[in-house]
Amino acid sequence: MIEDIPQSDETPEDIPVGDASGEAGDVQEPAESLTDPAGEEMPGIAEAEEEAGGDEEAGSGGDDTLAEVSEGAEASGPGRRSFLSQLLAGTIGAVVGLVPVLSGLVFFLDPLFRRGQSSGSDGSSAASKKDAEGFIKLPVTRALLPKDGTPQQVTVEDDLVDAWNKFPNVPIGSVWVRVDESGDVIVFNTICPHLGCSVEYRNVETDFYCPCHLSAFKLDGTKDNPIPPRDMDSLAVKPDTGDEIWVQFKNFRGGISEKVEI
Amino acid sequence: MIRSLLAWLDDRTGYAGVLHEALYERVPGGARWRYVWGSTLVFTFSVQMITGFFLWTAYSPSANTAWESVYYIQNEMTFGSIVRGLHHFTAQLMIVLMAVHLVQVIIDGAYKAPREMNFWLGLVLMQIVLGLSLTGYLLPWDQKGYYATQVATKIMGNAPVIGVEAQELIQGGPKYGHHTLTRFFALHAGLLPASLVAFLGLHLYVFRRHGLTVKDKNHAPETTFWPDQVLKDGVACLAVLLLVLGLSIWKGAELSAPANPAENYAAARPEWYFLFLFRFLKFEFIEHFGLAFGSIYVPGALMAVVAAMPLLGRWAGGHKFNVAFTWVLTIGIGALTLLAFYEDGNSESHQAAILEAHRDSERIKELAGGPNKIPVSGAVTLLREDPFTQGPRLFAKHCFGCHRYDGHDGRGRLVYESGADGKQVRGVPTAVDLGDFGSPSWMRAVVMDYSNHFADLKNAAWFKNPGDAEVLNPDESEMADWSGDAEALNSPENADNVKALVAFLVAQAAHKDNGQEVVADQKQVERGRVLAVEGDWAGAINGTSCADCHSSIGSSFKAVGDDDADGYPNLSGYGSAAWLKSFLANPGAAQHYGEKNQMPSYADRMTAEELELLVRWLTGDYAPTAVERYDNRLEAASVESGEPAAEAAEKE
Repeated sequence: MIEDIPQSDETPEDIPVGDASGEAGDVQEPAESLTDPAGEEMPGIAEAEEEAGGDEEAGSGGDDTLAEVSEGAEASGPGRRSFLSQLLAGTIGAVVGLVPVLSGLVFFLDPLFRRGQSSGSDGSSAASKKDAEGFIKLPVTRALLPKDGTPQQVTVEDDLVDAWNKFPNVPIGSVWVRVDESGDVIVFNTICPHLGCSVEYRNVETDFYCPCHLSAFKLDGTKDNPIPPRDMDSLAVKPDTGDEIWVQFKNFRGGISEKVEI
Repeated sequence: MIRSLLAWLDDRTGYAGVLHEALYERVPGGARWRYVWGSTLVFTFSVQMITGFFLWTAYSPSANTAWESVYYIQNEMTFGSIVRGLHHFTAQLMIVLMAVHLVQVIIDGAYKAPREMNFWLGLVLMQIVLGLSLTGYLLPWDQKGYYATQVATKIMGNAPVIGVEAQELIQGGPKYGHHTLTRFFALHAGLLPASLVAFLGLHLYVFRRHGLTVKDKNHAPETTFWPDQVLKDGVACLAVLLLVLGLSIWKGAELSAPANPAENYAAARPEWYFLFLFRFLKFEFIEHFGLAFGSIYVPGALMAVVAAMPLLGRWAGGHKFNVAFTWVLTIGIGALTLLAFYEDGNSESHQAAILEAHRDSERIKELAGGPNKIPVSGAVTLLREDPFTQGPRLFAKHCFGCHRYDGHDGRGRLVYESGADGKQVRGVPTAVDLGDFGSPSWMRAVVMDYSNHFADLKNAAWFKNPGDAEVLNPDESEMADWSGDAEALNSPENADNVKALVAFLVAQAAHKDNGQEVVADQKQVERGRVLAVEGDWAGAINGTSCADCHSSIGSSFKAVGDDDADGYPNLSGYGSAAWLKSFLANPGAAQHYGEKNQMPSYADRMTAEELELLVRWLTGDYAPTAVERYDNRLEAASVESGEPAAEAAEKE
């Protein structure tokens, strides 16, 4: 049925060009067709529009182009059929091209769809040290912390989920732990709130310092120069745990003045 | 505005001429459906490039992450099954379309002058596509791909002169491992597609140079590629897309169990389009000439004839020969493929292997999707440590020589042996069927129908020709006598007693049901215990208690010393995991059945881990599964061996 569609009005104009070069019907010389630019430019544009939008009507590129297309379409019966063929061919071409591309794009966007899911443990595994409120017991006790407030770097362990793997009870990060002036334990994530390097303790200057971009913080975590966008990221410490220290370990986005959990 | 911009662009690039050449190629004789095949191939290749890139973003080529990442793509990632399905099924369709394209080119004589070069370019493209199929088949690192690809690389190793070196180079070593995957992946996603693009470019360039091979110029008025032929091509591509999309959604790309070099894969077959070659190699007269003959020289010679077709076609009758050769080859390949399918379809062992492969694939999906996800050591360890997977295999390795499980060998296969006239006959079990071991039906049969329950023992050679040895006789023992008192046991007054005793015995075995604890009726159990200890029955058996003979029955029963228990098995925790372990380690121990028991010890025949897996499977102690139990073959077995089928019917 579709085979019976006769050729468009434009094509006969093109064909003599091909025939002129006719060499046993095998070779065509398309370069010659450039001598008639107005003839083929119009369908060329129509094609580009369909490729881009997949929808002729909504595409509305230049008004003059559209006008010309419809003019050609209304010219005669065969012309309209040719226009329909072009529309149909363009649409089908767009569909078969877009389906794999769009499926792939959705697939590629998978990380954004699973943003809400925690990458850490839910405390369900037997090896997990996390309690119901998300506090993790640190491998250090209050008694072991220096009384003068010198910070100690401590590794935090928890189950780590990485795509298809689950690593039971592995180091997932580290924290600075110290006793402040009032005797409370305070805990900071060691990741610099500036751009994510590790904050170190300098015992001569008695401050926290990031060697990457020279962020500096006082021992209570407040920023000491204008480089970091915010104070060090303090972490919630569980009250009334005796000698044990339990902390809610979290990571935060870098480079912004607000503390936004990742 | 746009027009002047395009004119500017055309002035700088000359795109309009190229576009014009691409779109307005002449189609003498009108657009036809017969011209769509080449375009569908270009389309399928584009789909492979697109989906392949996206799969690349999630695939991890190493021996303990490849299967895992594909599992994650297939089962957890958004649209993962669609993208992988498109890639998987389009790959197969590409082979079909390529075959159609090739056959059409030969029949239409499109390989003749001046198109010889393009024919050869097409053959190069075909080799590249086959290379892509071969390398892609291994990448999921599942049992199916692993064992099928082993065959391909082994064939490569049998090639003359450089075979072994070639095999080791592509494998990245003498055996499969991380580097097999990294190398296959580099070929599959790097070298081969790049070569395909290059050769496809040449193929299309030369094609355009010579134009279509038109059979009938007067079929319809001449037209141009755009839009008439494009429309037909588009419709064909749409059909292709709908087909692979449908297959992706409703069938889904297969992912069998993770590759395990230590685990046979009896269902191993090449991808279906290579089945003809697989079947060809199985012919005895082909095997006769050696592996290299059937797998390298013959296919090589056939390819050489195809490659020589443009030259052959110059002679008188050459084209006819080419067409005839193509038809013979096509029919031969088709016939061999059908033969292979037919034989596999009628092979009981192959069907059993397929079923097992399917079960493993379902089971690993359950385990990998569990709360503990996949360990770093890889998904293969999940299956290795799974009682539900390994129990049947261990049973089929160690136990089915005497026992059966629901009438089969543990893996769902009937047991055969060679009969008197050398024919294959159904094997006769020489020990009790363990399909319902520890269940209420088992306990009930032991109590009510002891002789019958253990009647299989009488098939054993040691029973028929005991010589001087004293052997267990299910018909002649105190238990057989007691259990044989059918009148008393079956009397209505004892109905509740029997129920209670069975409940007590089942609670002793404490089997799990598909990994879940079974909640027992404690009142019944206690009543059964009292009955077992005190023997408060109705009728003739009144006063006969289990504890008269069996020591350690029930927790509060004071045990007779184990030394005195010979002949009277100690029934403490009878049928439980602890009892089974002790029993399997020494079935002839005094507290079990004594030296009369012919069953050998399995303490040295299986490792402690294997024993544990077998026992956990027999006691239902594994992560719950939705994989169905193998079909019960007991009824069929009973009918053939002339035994009553009542036992089978009694099962829950």
